[in-house]
Amino acid sequence: MSATELNADKSFAKTSGVKKTDQKIFAAIGYGALTIMALLCLLPFLLVVSSSLTSENKIITAGYQFIPTDFSVEAYSILFKYPTEMIQAYLVTIGVTIGGTLLGLFLTSMTSYALSRRDFKWRNGFSFFFFFTTLFSGGLVPWYLLIVNYLHMKDTVLALIVPLVLNVFYIIVMKSFLGGIPEAIVESAKIDGAGDFRIYAQLILPLSKPALATIGLFLALAYWNDWYNALLFVSDEKLMPLQYYLYKMLGNMDGMRKAMMGAGAVVTTAIPTESLKMAMTVVATGPILLAYPFVQRYFVQGLTIGAVKG
Amino acid sequence: MRLRSFWHDVKKYRMFLLMLTPAVVFYLLFAYIPMAGIVIAFKRYDYAGGIFGSAWNGLDNFRFFFDSGNAWQVTRNTALYNVAFIVVNNALQIFAAILLFEVGGKWFRKIIQSSLFLPYFISWVVVGAIAYNLLNYDIGTVNAMLRGLGMEPVDIYNTPAYWPFLLVLVSAWKGLGYGTVMYLAAITSIDTEMYEAAEIDGANIFQRILKVTIPNLYPTIIILVLLAVGNIFRGDFGMFYNMVGNNGMLFSATDVIDTFVFRSLITSNDIGMSAAAGVFQSVLGFATIMAVNYAVRRYDKDRALF
Amino acid sequence: MLRKSRWTMFTLLFAFVMIMSACGNNNKNSGSSASQSTEPSKSASTTASASAASSSAAAPAEGAVDTSKEVKLKMIFVGPKPVDYDSVFAEINKKLKEKINATIEGEFLDWSDWAQKYPLKLAADENFDLIYSANWAGYNDQALKGGFLELTDDMLAKYAPQAWANMSKVSWDQAKVNGKLYMVPQNRGESVEKLILYREDLRKKYNLPEINSPEAYATYLKTIAEKEKGIVPFTPETGDWKFHNLDRVLLKQQNEWNMFDLDMPFAFKLTDEKGQVFNVYNTPEFKQLATYYKDLADHNAWSKNVLNSKNDHQADFKAGKTASITHNNGTLGALMALMRQENSPYEVALADINQGKKKSVAISTQNGTSVHATSKNPERALMAIDLLQNDKELHDLVMYGINGVHYEPVGDDKYKALDKNPNYTGFSNWSFNSPLNRDNEAFPQEASDLVKSWEANVYHYPLETFVFDNSKVKTEIANVGNVMLRYGIPLEYGLVKDIDKGLADLNKQLEAAGIAKIQTELQSQIDAFLAKN
Repeated sequence: MSATELNADKSFAKTSGVKKTDQKIFAAIGYGALTIMALLCLLPFLLVVSSSLTSENKIITAGYQFIPTDFSVEAYSILFKYPTEMIQAYLVTIGVTIGGTLLGLFLTSMTSYALSRRDFKWRNGFSFFFFFTTLFSGGLVPWYLLIVNYLHMKDTVLALIVPLVLNVFYIIVMKSFLGGIPEAIVESAKIDGAGDFRIYAQLILPLSKPALATIGLFLALAYWNDWYNALLFVSDEKLMPLQYYLYKMLGNMDGMRKAMMGAGAVVTTAIPTESLKMAMTVVATGPILLAYPFVQRYFVQGLTIGAVKG
Repeated sequence: MRLRSFWHDVKKYRMFLLMLTPAVVFYLLFAYIPMAGIVIAFKRYDYAGGIFGSAWNGLDNFRFFFDSGNAWQVTRNTALYNVAFIVVNNALQIFAAILLFEVGGKWFRKIIQSSLFLPYFISWVVVGAIAYNLLNYDIGTVNAMLRGLGMEPVDIYNTPAYWPFLLVLVSAWKGLGYGTVMYLAAITSIDTEMYEAAEIDGANIFQRILKVTIPNLYPTIIILVLLAVGNIFRGDFGMFYNMVGNNGMLFSATDVIDTFVFRSLITSNDIGMSAAAGVFQSVLGFATIMAVNYAVRRYDKDRALF
Repeated sequence: MLRKSRWTMFTLLFAFVMIMSACGNNNKNSGSSASQSTEPSKSASTTASASAASSSAAAPAEGAVDTSKEVKLKMIFVGPKPVDYDSVFAEINKKLKEKINATIEGEFLDWSDWAQKYPLKLAADENFDLIYSANWAGYNDQALKGGFLELTDDMLAKYAPQAWANMSKVSWDQAKVNGKLYMVPQNRGESVEKLILYREDLRKKYNLPEINSPEAYATYLKTIAEKEKGIVPFTPETGDWKFHNLDRVLLKQQNEWNMFDLDMPFAFKLTDEKGQVFNVYNTPEFKQLATYYKDLADHNAWSKNVLNSKNDHQADFKAGKTASITHNNGTLGALMALMRQENSPYEVALADINQGKKKSVAISTQNGTSVHATSKNPERALMAIDLLQNDKELHDLVMYGINGVHYEPVGDDKYKALDKNPNYTGFSNWSFNSPLNRDNEAFPQEASDLVKSWEANVYHYPLETFVFDNSKVKTEIANVGNVMLRYGIPLEYGLVKDIDKGLADLNKQLEAAGIAKIQTELQSQIDAFLAKN
């Protein structure tokens, strides 16, 4: 049982010593196209970052700016007006993301593995059982009733983790990845007398790191960006995740002004809504961007399954 | 006899069944039980009666959608947009994944990949605001540039014809990083020996991509397309609403079921009527995916969803 | 740190008080509390009347209300939890405990998500006693669906005697849905008429006539468009409206009409005794207005992409980017006060371009408080509303916070906002609006004067208390609303090149959407209403 993983860099353009013409042409296309795509994605984000550092007045009169001509950190100072709450929100999000992703990854891969085994007669039936839930749903009210009135998950961390822990999309994508693992590997393990769970845990999981990394990333992003479950189920400040905290802040500032109408109240503070929106994007994205390069190696380099045979 | 063989199978697959138990319980609890709420679509919902005690009202909740005269238009728009998104987004994602796999050093790839992911983090609200900043007639960047070049400015927000292209573009832009990761993972899982064999056969890089990489991506492509097909009648509300808003001048080209329903129910907030629209989308999606899945099954049993 | 420890203290204290009172209660009053706790019945429409009946039975004697059992009332507010909620509500609860042996715990639905959560709380029948309600928060709908407890005259007279005595009959009647009352509305006639706020310095610069008519206003807008590059003459308020704010000035006020609902195209003449409703889009007045708008749009009086602009009109005005906006007196006055406070370089003024026209006041359901249909303590809930609205001390607390911290009283009817004021504001305590309200002393004098002058012009008409029950025509209303957004709004911003064709299209679509059915239903309800009153 030598399920060795091999860090084979499969970029042939580099490994074969002399570059041929086709490779040169390809490299030219590749570098060109990728750079253009990356720029198209990068520039709007730069616009966001720079606008978050521009004074509200400048944004209102001249629109978003690529270079902050009228520099201001007001938006950030509003966001961090209550630093402990902000840190609390970050901690909730980080905790939920890590816990949820690990649990989700375990459940997803285990489910997908069972569904991917061709000798499991009922796998299509179960696949359909899962898939069907993406087509039909009972809507918000019964779901809310169930979680609040029957499962009593309101204002608990479970309400932030459980609803996102499994996703049919991830299960099926994972299943398709696992389906690519040569059956011979499983067969030989079976002959060696390994049980199905052991095959999954000790053989399949190490072999499917790219898939696990991908689904793990998706799970982590889903947890990181989730504000809807918090909106529905959390009113305790101590449990508010970052995205909901930000969403709430912006919504309140926006809504407060609108709802003040008729109240005749004098709004004493002007709120830089535009730059605030931008600053929120930065604040919410920052940590993920910092963490991403560490996960990235799983996608950038080849981690292969084919190598086992050697 | 049949029962006995059933129990025999249960015993035979007990490990698989055990592994599936958490997920099965999860979906029973969080999806199938609440699914009973579908009856709301056929009821006149009141609080005292709740889901089961409220009075039936037949297909009354569906009337607003079908009597509107817009049902066909918005349903067609929804499906066409989704088909365009599926084709364009997947093609671009595969393209980017293959290039990322084949080209460049470690740092180049890291930087490119991170950049491609950035749009994913910008919420639709902010995307909508940026788009307005770029595209509006009076002070938009695009029109400022056109004017600078001595050209006529374009009134994008009053011209429906631009919008299908714009929306497809924005959708592709926002989903690029996410999808690329998925295809990249699929490519890295391809058996290295296949590439080596292709190299020995003297294939050039283009041939290798066409003959080895792309065929090996078929399973992933088919699965992703099938998953998307089930939702072909659901519009991405966040995108359409934040890009188009309540601009009636554009609706002929941009209205999808979800935005239409939202606008119709914004004042009445009727639970039954919105449930009815949801049921309509579900039934259409269900019929479509069953047909497509059947077709795929006939072509290759292992490629189908179920 | 401070907040946290205070909160813990408060909770501990509260728990202690609860235990104490629970003990004391057991011996004395177990009978009545038992009958109350079994109360929330599941049966559909009987809930309201059953609880009303049993609540009066629970009280021991005529006149005196039994408050020996301490209750904790949960109230749902709309808006963010104020920063100083704990300290202010601790004070409020001290007083409430003294007076009616009850305390209030607030739950706040943020502005960002109240629209989703509000109906959900009712639909899921969560446990709460009081809830902010308002016409714009779907009061009629929620009442018809059985979310709120019906309030009978007897209940009000007994448990909310001050509100019952102080509030005018019109206000109560306006809050009735199908003849039944489900809220204690605010007790303050608030003006809903829209005004125009514009740049007086620019008017003087170009020597323009005083802005007192639609024509003078058009001249102002066109001049700005022509001469002031970089300033947008008019910026509308963004939102999901179907008639915009200028319509209220130029269509409703100008023609002395009223509309039941700005999401439906029906109006009637204020002076029409018979209350004949008509389709606004079918009138020559509307066509004339569309022409007026088209002319303005052609002269660049507003942005060409006005339908997609998410610009905040008030922020734009403050920044000098736009030369006029419309809103109600309260909001515009507040904006003027703010600009003056910040020494804005712009001279601004209010314009009433329908001088001498009849004005109407907001219906009372603009803000109110309802009792949850399944509240276990409806009596105490009503008593709490009564005090918060009509007891000077409690009213000041709930509206303005703590004296000396959040505000400082100026005389009997004004207040001065202190530094901490922003820590206690921005949520729906407006439901307790009453004659006891104080005005911010920074509020501009001319805005107050204008309101006073309007008060003389406030016109009361027979249909003032009419409420439309739209449950039979929901489908048609949904579709008509959609048509209005799609075909009506572009006309109102002068974006449709051919007005006649645009109007014809609009009316054709409205017909297909079933406008006639709504009109018939509306008219028959009005006729029945007028025959009865």
